[in-house]
Amino acid sequence: MAAKQKSRRVLPGFGLSMGYTVVYLSLIILIPLAALLLKATTLNFGQTWNTVTEPRVVASYKLTLFTSLVAAIVNAVFGTLIAWVLVRYQFWGKRVIDALVDLPFALPTAVAGIALTTIYAPNGWIGQYFEAMGVKVAYTQYGIIIALTFIGLPFVVRSVQPVLQDLDQQYEEAASTLGAGSGQIFFKVIFPAIFPAVLTGFALAFARALGEYGSVVFISGNMPMKTEIVPLLIITKLEQYNYGGAAAIAVVMLGFSFILLFLINFWQWRTAKKHQVT
Amino acid sequence: MGISICDVSKAFSSFPAVKNVELEIPTGDFVALLGPSGSGKTTLLRMIAGLESLDSGKILFNGLDYTNKTVKERKVGFVFQHYALFRHMTIFENVAFGLKVRPRRNRPSKREIKEKVHELLRLVQLEHLVDRYPSQLSGGQRQRIALARALAVEPEVLLLDEPFGALDAKVRQELRHWLREIHQKLNITTVFVTHDQEEALEMADTIVVMNKGMVEQIGSPEEVYHHPANAFVYSFLGRVNEITGKALSETTLRVTDLEKGTVGYIRPHEIVLKKTSEGLGMLVEVVHIHSVGSTVRMQLKRRDTDDLYEAELTIETYKELGAVSKGDLLHAEFNNIVVFENEPGTSHSLQEQTKFTAAFN
Repeated sequence: MAAKQKSRRVLPGFGLSMGYTVVYLSLIILIPLAALLLKATTLNFGQTWNTVTEPRVVASYKLTLFTSLVAAIVNAVFGTLIAWVLVRYQFWGKRVIDALVDLPFALPTAVAGIALTTIYAPNGWIGQYFEAMGVKVAYTQYGIIIALTFIGLPFVVRSVQPVLQDLDQQYEEAASTLGAGSGQIFFKVIFPAIFPAVLTGFALAFARALGEYGSVVFISGNMPMKTEIVPLLIITKLEQYNYGGAAAIAVVMLGFSFILLFLINFWQWRTAKKHQVT
Repeated sequence: MGISICDVSKAFSSFPAVKNVELEIPTGDFVALLGPSGSGKTTLLRMIAGLESLDSGKILFNGLDYTNKTVKERKVGFVFQHYALFRHMTIFENVAFGLKVRPRRNRPSKREIKEKVHELLRLVQLEHLVDRYPSQLSGGQRQRIALARALAVEPEVLLLDEPFGALDAKVRQELRHWLREIHQKLNITTVFVTHDQEEALEMADTIVVMNKGMVEQIGSPEEVYHHPANAFVYSFLGRVNEITGKALSETTLRVTDLEKGTVGYIRPHEIVLKKTSEGLGMLVEVVHIHSVGSTVRMQLKRRDTDDLYEAELTIETYKELGAVSKGDLLHAEFNNIVVFENEPGTSHSLQEQTKFTAAFN
């Protein structure tokens, strides 16, 4: 960019590190995605359009986006709460809880899916009480949301935690000397400061949920038009050797995800920019 | 509002931060809590604000017990060393914060808030920055905004925690005068914490010198400077030479019986230098000369014992003395040595002590 006035850095190696970054991103992300796009073009336009606008597929887009969004919102709220508890309070077993937060990452998603299904099934430990109230959890959208919440939990906690840790108590003290109550201090002083981090965590959890397959297939019941998520349809197409169709659906989903993540990141960038110019 | 601090103590785990402090602050007074770091001055200030709880003792505001009141109920203005401005709010929103968080029935109307904010920004002379964010301001400007924000709630007590500690020397100088003016204008009881003796002497009506969690002396700047209660106060308020051991009885007639550990003190500007000997002078060698604005400081080494002293001369007396260069021999007279009796607590002089006894025995 600023080739004329080359600024001196303490650590050299821009060329090397940038080159590595480009090669790495190409190998890991860009080339596979390009291959996906190429595969999708094996169908002609009419076929593609028919595949991606099939009612069953459209229903799955809606379901995936909706459940991912709800799960990400739930995680944003409760993840922030968990981060708050872990940062602000000292209690026995804090380290254990801190470690538990990462567990959804470590567990194979299929295992998580089976475990959640067992618990939330109509005759499961928790499911039976919901059943008594007339609410079905497993094999419905609720089940999908629970699975997606589970796998997205660490993102918000881990992005908010360090920001909250660095937030100096003097801001709260200043607010309290100015007469603010605890609610006002949280919503007017603390929350705006951690909001960019909450958004980052939200975006990550949302993105993760859009692509999740393993845990959801067990708990969703996979009923066409009702509880079929997009990744499942893609797998179904693959099993029918319809590679072009699978790729077409994947490309549409990719487009949605990209636009949504771009918007969230833009929003996040704007909020962060507002008070961090120096 | 007058503040009474009655026998207040506070310990952090096992470290006693404030020990049995008694302090009476009359309404409208401008008080400096002065002391080295770790002397408990900030803790005491935070206890007055209610930001820190007390282990024992009482704090009264106008005779009423405020010990267990919350920060919010005390209605104090507090200014932090690092400003603590809300980064996501503009200057306007920062200053208006204290008014906007009031319960609806006490909250001024939007127009009143706007007027009040502009009035305060005029007071701190930063009205043109109303729409900026704190990160776009310099340190001095931020601290002025922090003060405006604290004043917005019309506090009856203003507390400042090392308000100018993070600023550079010139800005600090400006803000001192400016804070003094504001205090005169508004006449709010003001307490500020500082470790800078010059700042305390220059601004405060009353100086409270603290050390190791205890109050060493309370008095006007003249009192604490010219009539220090003990060696700590004397040496904390300005530069000082320490004279111990045999050198003490040699240089002054005031000390007749030399007890172990007796320390004499003299300020650098009280050492009189002459080129020719007239009685009590001792022979010293000039080790270093540096002129700092209107004063000249000289590092002197006693010829026979190698003890080091610092002398300070005004540029006039330096000229009267005539040309002096490094390595020259002069006669130094120590006319105004101060000795504090029975001071086992001044441990800071012990290091020097060993040096002197080594030189003399």
